[in-house]
Amino acid sequence: MIPRRLTFTRARLAFTGLLFIGARSACVGAAREPVDSLSGLGGDETVVVGRIELVPPLRKDEQKLKGLNSGSFENKVFLLADEHYRVLTEEPGMADYAGRIEAILGKNFFVRSHSKPFFILGGMMYLDLGGREMNRAYFPGGLKVSIKPGDKAVYVGTVQYHRNEFFEVTKAAIVDDYDRANAEFKKKFGAKYPLRKALLTPVK
Amino acid sequence: MKHRIWLVLGLITLGLLAGCASSGPERDINDPTNSLVFGYIDMDDAPTKVSSAWMVQVAPPSDTPYWGLGVSKGLFYNSYLPPGSYQLSKFGGSGFFAGQHEYSFPRQGNQTALRISKPGIYFLGSYKYKKAKSGMFEQGKFKIEKINKPTEAELLKRILDESSDIKDSAWGNKIRARLAQLKS
Repeated sequence: MIPRRLTFTRARLAFTGLLFIGARSACVGAAREPVDSLSGLGGDETVVVGRIELVPPLRKDEQKLKGLNSGSFENKVFLLADEHYRVLTEEPGMADYAGRIEAILGKNFFVRSHSKPFFILGGMMYLDLGGREMNRAYFPGGLKVSIKPGDKAVYVGTVQYHRNEFFEVTKAAIVDDYDRANAEFKKKFGAKYPLRKALLTPVK
Repeated sequence: MKHRIWLVLGLITLGLLAGCASSGPERDINDPTNSLVFGYIDMDDAPTKVSSAWMVQVAPPSDTPYWGLGVSKGLFYNSYLPPGSYQLSKFGGSGFFAGQHEYSFPRQGNQTALRISKPGIYFLGSYKYKKAKSGMFEQGKFKIEKINKPTEAELLKRILDESSDIKDSAWGNKIRARLAQLKS
């Protein structure tokens, strides 16, 4: 647990911190880009489809976001992803956010990836942002996305993070919700390319 | 001028905190559903002592989730918490040279998390403030480490000695019974 101390004389630094967060979105490596059309997909690229859910779901008052642009963090989980597996042992740094997946809770994401396997290292969501406090919730990772060469689209499943009232993750489950995801995939992209089911697997 | 602005902001914040204090505890001290929650923080290594403390109710959901705690030389307590889930939210303190400080606890991974399913006496523990490393542009960070002293019994005795409201309420006998239980 790393609580935070704020002094009023350091409130200016907190403001600087907010600017820093704004700047961070410009500084960190890009997120995996959402895909709206398969026509722009390169030969060595794959659409990764999946979903993140919280059980029980996030209540409206549980995420307190204030200030400019803070709405863009609403219901959003940042999934830290890398082609090289590693265990995050402390708060992720800016570099860890490069290649992230930005997933809106309870909605399928469709993101562009290289046609190579990669790993979900963990997740992060802002609980308090833009006020005097900044609080984040972290979610466990250790999951492999198994993309094969030639895959145009893969479905990785729904990651359900079960949590208690203290935001401790009590269980993480991979749920196969392929039919619903495939229906949305076909509606979005047509039936030219199949959505191959390749559910996330725990890294051994 | 700059200093005045921060002073005004500080006063506004204190006003808001006072508002929070009155928003939580509109309960009779002898309400049989009350719980007494208490703990201790050693702030010797902190920039200031603690002069205000707050718990946040995380379940059931509430429009007024913040509960003010009584504070006395590191001891903090509240004697009218209804059943629910709580954790320490923040401490406040000020010093002549250090200025106004606020010590916020995380919402996830908070080691003071407490579930009250039935009314009773709950000891959160005794802790010591430790400074933690923070980045150049980050707010100051700290951690709290559990310590063995003061004990639950020592703190309960202090509550009886220092709060006549509690001593003269239904809590007086309950605390004495708990002290006897701890002694045996």
